[in-house]
Amino acid sequence: MARVALKALEIYKMLPKKNCKECGYPTCLTFAMKLAAGKADADSCPYLDEATKQLLRGATRPPIQLVKLGVGERQVPVGDEIVLFRHEKAFYHPPGIFFSVSDLWEGERIRAVAERIMGEVFPRVGENLRWNGLAVRNESGDPAAFGRAVAAVEEVAEYPEVLVSGSPGALAAGLAQCGNYRPVIHAATPENHGEVAALAKRFGCPLVVRAGDLAGLAGLAKACTDLGAPNILLDPAPAHLGEFLARSTDIRRKALDRSDPDLGHPVYLDATAFVPEEAGIVTGILKYAGVIVTSVLSPGTARMALTLRQNIYTDPQKPIQMTPGLYRVGEPGPASPVLATVNFSLTYFTLLGYLEASRIPCHLLIVDTEGFSVLTAVAAGKLSERLIKDSLDRYQVGEQVKHRILVIPGYAAPLSGRIEETTGWKVLVGPRDAADIGEFLEREWVAKGPAAP
Amino acid sequence: MGDIPPREGTGGAGSGAGGAPSTGEGGTVSGAGAIDQVTLGATAKEGGTRSVSYRIGGWDDHPFLGKSPPGVRSPLVALEVCDDPRTWPPVVTREVGDLAGDPAAWAREAERRFSADLVRLVLTSTRDRSFSDFPSVGRTVEAVLSATSLPLIIEGSSEPELDREVFQRCGEAGAGERLLLGTAEADRYRSVAAAALAYGHSVVAQSPIDINLAKQLNILLREIGVPHDRIVIDPYTGAIGYGFEYSYSVMERIRDAALKGDRDLAMPMISQAPDSLVVKEVREAPPEWQREIAVRWEFGFALSAVIAGADIVSVRHPETVRLLREAFRGLRPGEPPGGGAGGA
Repeated sequence: MARVALKALEIYKMLPKKNCKECGYPTCLTFAMKLAAGKADADSCPYLDEATKQLLRGATRPPIQLVKLGVGERQVPVGDEIVLFRHEKAFYHPPGIFFSVSDLWEGERIRAVAERIMGEVFPRVGENLRWNGLAVRNESGDPAAFGRAVAAVEEVAEYPEVLVSGSPGALAAGLAQCGNYRPVIHAATPENHGEVAALAKRFGCPLVVRAGDLAGLAGLAKACTDLGAPNILLDPAPAHLGEFLARSTDIRRKALDRSDPDLGHPVYLDATAFVPEEAGIVTGILKYAGVIVTSVLSPGTARMALTLRQNIYTDPQKPIQMTPGLYRVGEPGPASPVLATVNFSLTYFTLLGYLEASRIPCHLLIVDTEGFSVLTAVAAGKLSERLIKDSLDRYQVGEQVKHRILVIPGYAAPLSGRIEETTGWKVLVGPRDAADIGEFLEREWVAKGPAAP
Repeated sequence: MGDIPPREGTGGAGSGAGGAPSTGEGGTVSGAGAIDQVTLGATAKEGGTRSVSYRIGGWDDHPFLGKSPPGVRSPLVALEVCDDPRTWPPVVTREVGDLAGDPAAWAREAERRFSADLVRLVLTSTRDRSFSDFPSVGRTVEAVLSATSLPLIIEGSSEPELDREVFQRCGEAGAGERLLLGTAEADRYRSVAAAALAYGHSVVAQSPIDINLAKQLNILLREIGVPHDRIVIDPYTGAIGYGFEYSYSVMERIRDAALKGDRDLAMPMISQAPDSLVVKEVREAPPEWQREIAVRWEFGFALSAVIAGADIVSVRHPETVRLLREAFRGLRPGEPPGGGAGGA
């Protein structure tokens, strides 16, 4: 039952065209445009019959449902994605990463992990990277033990939880502790979905449905929605990592082209099932997971995973730019070299890494090429002698050093003559590869004496 | 159905919008062009001395969707060794100890102990501007070829003044072995291409994270006679946290354009992000954590690159090779693990 996305004009034809404003929009056409963009609800129009509303709801809702995990400040919104590849537009809602604990563990051990999730923050290029929550596994098989483990987490946690159990009894014991905070329930299966969906409905919780094939997932998603638990995530129960990648991709493709609207939900991944677990985490971040459950991660895996997630969920249309200005590397003095480069963040960070490794203090002049790399900035005329001169003036570089020598990137060599004429500074053409900057400065600056070249 | 048909005649390089056509689970996109195949290494039967040769490429969908083309072993892991370790990441030289001073012994262990599929010899000695000992290049390549039976990738000089002599020596020393020679760039590709054409090798074509520049370079190479099946695209890869997302998306775009029929981008890809082992996160970590962080940083880029479309990932830490092998087994459990020693 394929349902095609409708365009605004097609929707407009189905509306009463009274321009009564009762929907809250000035005209029926405006309302139609909002509907087409998935930003309005067909129910707002009092004059539509039920069949038309039904049709419009199916065709105008976002292809992948937005599901909110937990409540409050650390609530995690997942889903609501619109593309298969980030270069087509962007990925919007990074997957929540949840460390997992077992109800077989001592309360102390559980609390220690719960506290780490609460407090651990990695600041990185203007963002605070953190973990999103905790998954509690019912490995004891005992509802009371599960309830106690959830209670131990609750002493600390102000973030979303995932309750992992196949037993409705254990889930009920866990929900008695934290049900009001909208934890994620894992999982409804063909065997238990009636009881589990009833629990999800009672507490208004997001519910993961689990099945090993797409038809089974779609069927469970629809059944649980009909039972009053509409906030669904899909666990494709992969036997190996390749199966996760294939199924998750297929779910995304079918959701986006609306060939199976019942697959229009975020995907759940338990990365601990794979060896190495890092492979599961990486694949989940790249290939459409909305929730990733992990073990308690070591520092290396932890930072890599959070940084990769930040990278992949960066808007690709917008190059990350550094703020132009004069930056100090180490403790530079009036005889230290001045290096100019562009404000593309990759250029900046790469160069900075090699400069720091060289241990030669210097002044780094970042000029505004609108985020273009050296090569593209030179080709597109964004990097010019005029820009260099303006930047030298604006950031008063001449007051920081007693020499008048500027090191420019190797790829900007064609500009060297014009820069010398316009600025009056002598130009030293640096290496094309940032990796060679240390050796270059050693040879051209340090070895020739202070400000000698 | 809401399928968006594959776009035709758009040249691919500019393709931004449009989802991939829907397929069955693990299915392939019908009617789209396949990636060209490139052969690396030559066995005795094929006129060389390698114990194995690899065919890479040949795909007709995005990575790990659909079956491998017959005879194709991919993705492959190359372990990098060098002939002058002074600029090599400390986290690697500490790990390999004395091997770092001996590229032949290092290459032997890359095969025997570290289970790499390929050895990538980086001639770091030629990166010194005063370098002039050209005969040593040929000797090093020969020594490495006799120490390992794996196919070889060789990274030569990066100075236009040195390129001609260095690549000539590399090409000659490896005649008949179907080496992969690097690196050709838009403003210095003639020397490496000439050596490849003269001695039957393939070429790494590197462009700076830009699909259009990648395409232009492939066209330049074609115009001087390098056939499509002797080119491997290197889209340039930044480490995780240092621009990796640009590289990731460029690889996906190149693969996507090739699948939609752009012949000038339909080559296999190679990716390496050597900065992974020297990023700030590694340098500033307490010593006891540096190895763990460095390896995770390198593993994360390499697996992501493979998922974006790289056929070869080139890494420097032996532990990364081991982790990648395990990951590939999970991604393609039905297939042989590949590799020389690893597949034996």
